[in-house]
Amino acid sequence: MNAPARHELYVLEDGEKGVEVTEDTKIPNAATIKIVKQDHTLGNMLRAQLLSMPQVLFAGYKVPHPLHPYFLLKIQTDGTITPQAILEQACTKLIGTMAALETKFKREFSYKDVEGAVGGVGAGGVGGVGGPGADDPYGGGAGRWGRERDYLDF
Amino acid sequence: MQTQEDLEPTVRIRELKKDRVNFVLGNVDLAFANSLRRVVMADIPTVAIDMVEIEVNTTVLPDEFIAHRLGMVPLNSSNCEEAIKYTRDCTCLAGCPYCSLMLHLNVACHDDNTMDVTSDHLDLVPFPTDPEQQNPEPGEELAQRGELFGQPVGKHEPGVPPVLICKIRKGQELKMKCTAKKGIAKEHAKWSPCSAVSFEYDPHNKLRHTTHWYEKSIKEEWPLSENALEEEPPREDEAFDFNAKPNKFYFEVETDGSLGPQEVVMRGLAELQTKLANLILGLKKQPDGEILANDPQVNGHVPAAEPSWAGGGQQSAWGAGASTGGWPTTSRGNASQWGSGSDGGATSGWARSGSDGGATSGWGSGSATAAATTTGWASPSRQTNGWNS
Repeated sequence: MNAPARHELYVLEDGEKGVEVTEDTKIPNAATIKIVKQDHTLGNMLRAQLLSMPQVLFAGYKVPHPLHPYFLLKIQTDGTITPQAILEQACTKLIGTMAALETKFKREFSYKDVEGAVGGVGAGGVGGVGGPGADDPYGGGAGRWGRERDYLDF
Repeated sequence: MQTQEDLEPTVRIRELKKDRVNFVLGNVDLAFANSLRRVVMADIPTVAIDMVEIEVNTTVLPDEFIAHRLGMVPLNSSNCEEAIKYTRDCTCLAGCPYCSLMLHLNVACHDDNTMDVTSDHLDLVPFPTDPEQQNPEPGEELAQRGELFGQPVGKHEPGVPPVLICKIRKGQELKMKCTAKKGIAKEHAKWSPCSAVSFEYDPHNKLRHTTHWYEKSIKEEWPLSENALEEEPPREDEAFDFNAKPNKFYFEVETDGSLGPQEVVMRGLAELQTKLANLILGLKKQPDGEILANDPQVNGHVPAAEPSWAGGGQQSAWGAGASTGGWPTTSRGNASQWGSGSDGGATSGWARSGSDGGATSGWGSGSATAAATTTGWASPSRQTNGWNS
């Protein structure tokens, strides 16, 4: 009855900040970044990407409590770049990887379509309406950016 | 690690059926592959019945039992992203055609035989609009919908058995109004577009990420999966390579029919990118927020800085990439698009006096404030100077 709304686990509330950076006072070039309303999906991926970057001395993440919808990301760099900047770079790299993967997937799917392995899907609702998502995943990209900004835009 | 990261990710689709796709992902990190798995299971929106108004239920099943079953019926959700709003984002008071769908179920048995009530009896009807409440913001959602949007999957499609909801006998009746809404599986699993996602790597367990229990022999007691054919079996005398990283990931994404497998995978990747993009945005916004809170004097700059987020600099780099048909295919090209924006922006903001145009104005003014209040968070060079000297 008094359970919190489920969507509070993944939707930022009005005026809530998605990211909070706390710089470490004792360790140089280190910061703890609190990322709200996200989970292992993002946390583990970022951690792995950060560890693969040579400027990073330490990267780790934790979800302090499974009922609290945020995770903490600790980053220490070698001083050539701030933790925030390296995190941003990591995100950019990951987006790049995903974009590359998206292209490859699109090509693979189109091959399979030609081979006729999909059967009637192309003609049915799935292929036809899937079109906007598949053919132009960025068509809505700019719009999505705009819309998503609303959550953080305060 | 480095070599793996620098390679382009690869993908090979082994099987594509109407409701499933089997593919092999290569040259990516384990964490990346796992994130893709998690995101297709839990973060892709679909529509599902969320509220049921029961008018008559004289069947043997209680109301909530039937309501739960109705919620689990997969509904066609193609292009859900654009075709329907979340109710929480909608301006309406209690459901409107832009954020809700209405399905009616009205069945009575007049036969001597037992009758099956199935998902084929669910009729999609136009959502009733409240005449008193003006429809605020008539969206373009309706135009984005396919013909089958919101229909139970496989309805009137030959060869697809419908979902059984209840069995009724003579004289029993079931009459209800169901409201379907958009949601994601983090809220309730009924919104998951996937019925199963299988994920495997290292079929020979060369990396020893798992331990096989056995009585006499691992080989005899643990049959290899089909994916083992894709990889070299380990030699008897092979030493354990503790630096090895998994490189090939075997996926099978099986959907419940609400979305096609192609749409699930592409949406999954898009969703991950949105998450990352929001994180970048959150990181970049930090200074603006602090300026607002700390120094009323700088407020003068804010109107100038804010539109620049939407119009120029960073945002436009993104926007241009998006509108001209997508990302550069290589990560290098992509990084340069972003990297040049952010690095150049931040550093030039420092060099300038503050109120110059473009996306840097926020940074520039921020730096001025930072210098004054000695908070010093905005600048890479500043920080490193402080610690190194």
